[in-house]
Amino acid sequence: MRHDFLDRYSRLDSPVHRVPAAVKLVAALALVVAVVLLPASRPAALAGAAALLLVVAGVSRVPWRFLVQRLVVLEPFVLGVAFLALFRPGGWPLFVFLVARSTVCLLVMVLLSSTTPFADLLRVLRSARVPALLVTTVSLMYRYTFVLVDEAGRMKRARLSRTFAPGPMRAWHGMATVVSQLFIRSSERAERIYAAMCARGWQ
Amino acid sequence: MSAAIEVRDLRFRYPEGTEALRGISFAIAEGECVGLIGPNGAGKSTLLLHLNGLLPESWNGEKSVLVGGRAVGPENLLEVRRKVGLLFQDPNDQLFCPTVFEDVAFGPQQFGVSDREVRERVARALATVGIPGFEQRAPHHLSVGERRRVCLAGVLACDPSILVLDEPTSSLDPRGRRELKDLLRQIPITKLIATHDLELVVELCTRVIVLDGGEVVAQGPTIAVLSDEELMLRHSLERPHALRHLHPH
Repeated sequence: MRHDFLDRYSRLDSPVHRVPAAVKLVAALALVVAVVLLPASRPAALAGAAALLLVVAGVSRVPWRFLVQRLVVLEPFVLGVAFLALFRPGGWPLFVFLVARSTVCLLVMVLLSSTTPFADLLRVLRSARVPALLVTTVSLMYRYTFVLVDEAGRMKRARLSRTFAPGPMRAWHGMATVVSQLFIRSSERAERIYAAMCARGWQ
Repeated sequence: MSAAIEVRDLRFRYPEGTEALRGISFAIAEGECVGLIGPNGAGKSTLLLHLNGLLPESWNGEKSVLVGGRAVGPENLLEVRRKVGLLFQDPNDQLFCPTVFEDVAFGPQQFGVSDREVRERVARALATVGIPGFEQRAPHHLSVGERRRVCLAGVLACDPSILVLDEPTSSLDPRGRRELKDLLRQIPITKLIATHDLELVVELCTRVIVLDGGEVVAQGPTIAVLSDEELMLRHSLERPHALRHLHPH
């Protein structure tokens, strides 16, 4: 099972990777805020931000293919929201601007997560006094994503090994079973994790 | 001197109605290494959770679990959990931090140890379990054997005086199993090991407790109990191979 689908390139060595995590996090947030506040009448500034990011991406040596794939996965959410703009007068230019602006923001976050190990980001959040409960939740979420993906993979394989007459209906049914089982197993696992945390003094 | 762990007529029923423990009594002396064996569903894991006060619905004011002579209850939970280090069956449940360092440091940090000492303890614990320098590794990149070692390091970093292990050798390869066994032998504190690995029990434990259906059905010196073929078979166990060629007269 692949264990690096989330942040495969975050441990490369490049000038961008060597920048302290705190600096990158602040810069990324500042850039996102600036881009979000940009009015639709300033496409040139947006293009400037995009160009800057492309340079950073080039220096970071994260493969272009990977960045594009990441954006494609996230793009449906952007399109879903921007779609509403089409119903307004002068919708098309606004739609294009919204899509471009959100894509730039996504690129910022994809670059941040691909050039900074997640544990470093958490450390920065913790030292920035972000509420401990929130940081712990995010940290557990990150950690157990891998376990969940593994578990889903094993369940899928186990199902396939006894699927003798494949068909679309059966596939959907199987998928629903996996999802519901994952839900139950996760909640049981959550209880065991909590016990393990308590066993080492968590309160 | 009081026993390291004493359990007196411990009863426990899960909220959904399963009666998991039906009046269990035993004591473990300081420095002893005791095996806890029995079929699946005998109540071994439930019993171990009680030794860390992890089933709060069972507190009814009765003093059924004593650690170092003191009854486990809401008022001394932290002390009990620091004293009794619990190794869980599934390393994934126990490794909940994004890096090995943070995971091993988790316990000591909770107990208010200084940052410098935390770093020292983590380094020492990782060296003890034979994986020095693993601090910055991510748990999901480790093998099962390495994960189990990190779990053990996380428990040892809390500096417990009693080690309670739930199936420590399950899903380990023979080398991982042998190395873990040697490791456990070198840790000179009181140990209670719940396992199906009867060869491990023969090699490490001086005494065994046999649990079945939520009751203690036998306890005594390892060789005497495990050589009793009829008893072993009756409780879904077996006489370990190592004892078949042994003539204890």
